[in-house]
Amino acid sequence: MNKLALSVGAAALAVSASSFAHFQLLHTPEAMVDKPTTVDMKLVFGHPMDNGHVMDMGQPEAFFVDFKGKRTDLIPALKAVTWTGPDNQAAAYQVSHKIQRNGDYVFALTPAPYYEKGEDIYIQQITKRVINKAGLPTGWDQPLGLKTEIVPKNKPYQILAGSTFTGQLLSEGKPAAGVECEIEFINTKVDQAANAFSKDNFREPPASALVAITDDNGMFTFGIPTAGQWGFACLGSGPDTEHEGKELSQDAVLWIDVIDL
Amino acid sequence: MKKHALPVLLAALIPAAAFAHTPLCSCYDLGDGEVLCEGGFSDGSSAAGVEMSVVDGAGNTVLTGKMDEAGEYTFQKPEGDYKVQFNAGPGHLIEIPGSDIVE
Repeated sequence: MNKLALSVGAAALAVSASSFAHFQLLHTPEAMVDKPTTVDMKLVFGHPMDNGHVMDMGQPEAFFVDFKGKRTDLIPALKAVTWTGPDNQAAAYQVSHKIQRNGDYVFALTPAPYYEKGEDIYIQQITKRVINKAGLPTGWDQPLGLKTEIVPKNKPYQILAGSTFTGQLLSEGKPAAGVECEIEFINTKVDQAANAFSKDNFREPPASALVAITDDNGMFTFGIPTAGQWGFACLGSGPDTEHEGKELSQDAVLWIDVIDL
Repeated sequence: MKKHALPVLLAALIPAAAFAHTPLCSCYDLGDGEVLCEGGFSDGSSAAGVEMSVVDGAGNTVLTGKMDEAGEYTFQKPEGDYKVQFNAGPGHLIEIPGSDIVE
């Protein structure tokens, strides 16, 4: 009896771990600052909701921050770091960027395509995160013109737990309908100094991926139950479908900060 | 009873309106003897034309001016203690002590 329960349990664990999604992280502890601050941002490719395997990132294709329409290339400022997950280590990046003036800073990363052996495909998650200074809104709701992106319809740095978040998925600037978007939260403490995820998780992850499908206008809405950092990954919404002779899933990712009122 | 309800309703609207138009002002020491202040409102509206004052430690107003089209005001940093006032009318006054103004 015990033996049977154990083997079933172990098999179920293995299945659920692999059913969780890849998420490109652009992580900072805070999304709102009120004083001039040097933001310590980590670029990590992992599985945040089950706090699983972390994957090697290649040299990003593009990485910039947009402030009131002015773009700063952050590729030269990238530093390679080794990221420690609960069970392995992987190549990741870090950037320090000083924020002085008030308004919305929209960070956008186009990583190198990642080869996923298990599925024999490449994955490229074009990822955005918005940091605000002093509460002045200056463009969090504007698209950046990326190949594919999620445009927030609620302030992405100020979502209340128990409320909803709506995003519009664009592909080459046009609404992308009927696309599956996976939803996750960062389920462990991030150690900024050590470039590591903690071993312990905040909560038991859901049994399978949380999903919303975009409507005819590319919109999706999700009710957010708890405070934390939540991410949305809309899969295969980008125009590029092939890389080095293999299938490419070009995804759009957006991170939001959810706070308790 | 009915007569009272209306003023109460109006009163309820006032804080909401004020909140949606919270003034914002931040100042930075540019490191070359000048201080730059930028202003705006939490609903994204412009602070162009808002009155700015610089007050010394003794409470004397030493400089006055207005936010420009870009919502910015630059002034020569005075000697000693000072504070900056952003005055967008009643309930919309922000005071920033010089000691909080950094690069």
